[in-house]
Amino acid sequence: MAAVLTDAAAPPPAPTAPVVVHGGLLVQIGYLYLLLMMLAIAGILSTAMVLQYAFGEIPCPLCLLQRVAMFGAATAIAAQFRHGFTWRNVGISQVFTLLLLVISVRQTLLDISPRPGHEYIGTAVLGLHMPVWSIIIAFALIAGDALAMLILGGGTAMERAKLAAHPRLARAGEWASRYLILICAINLVSVVLQCGLGQCHTMGYRLLGTLPEGAS
Amino acid sequence: MVAVFAALLGAMLLGRLRWRLPAHACLALCFGLSAWLFLFEVYSPSFGFAIPWLQF
Repeated sequence: MAAVLTDAAAPPPAPTAPVVVHGGLLVQIGYLYLLLMMLAIAGILSTAMVLQYAFGEIPCPLCLLQRVAMFGAATAIAAQFRHGFTWRNVGISQVFTLLLLVISVRQTLLDISPRPGHEYIGTAVLGLHMPVWSIIIAFALIAGDALAMLILGGGTAMERAKLAAHPRLARAGEWASRYLILICAINLVSVVLQCGLGQCHTMGYRLLGTLPEGAS
Repeated sequence: MVAVFAALLGAMLLGRLRWRLPAHACLALCFGLSAWLFLFEVYSPSFGFAIPWLQF
């Protein structure tokens, strides 16, 4: 009788069944979309770096700022894989995407009608110049996030989802994040060589002594 | 520009270490510096922020 009473007073055993997250497929699609956006940004940044180091196209200040905006958006996306999904990270990504859009639209307008004496467009990739690619990636990020909010914003599936349940996506996100950090570090070294502590110019690298005389 | 990229890389590395608040602070610094640098780059003493040579 005493044993029965003890059993009745004991707390119920912890559930052993996994917590079911509703919208599992949608969550996977959500993370897949984030991964694809991260890879697209990494691809565009890598292309820009190839154009810089292999073909000698030194980036202009606005081009460098577009790289920064893309890195910023990608950092917020990487945080979704590192810390779990939050709408705050979506907001950070959107803020940097807006910055990217403003800078790239301004530069595209300058490329359409260049300021006299400042004609510098660069090589086209698949028929489009880099600022136009920046506009496309900015629109894709904004549209994708809007779609994600439309579909997933009504619930908490993304926040409650455990990325460990999708190991392939988690691993891919991890490697993409590491790659982004690597190319960001390369860009930092490159910017130090190009700009030093002063203004950036497209005529040469300040610290390598290839900048023409008279450039400030 | 060096400070912008340094803040960006700092945010990425701090994020990797799961130090969220310093990472967000670095990212905010990076954004602020970028916005200021953009305005500095496009400002002209003659035209302000306009693009008068672009006419439709």
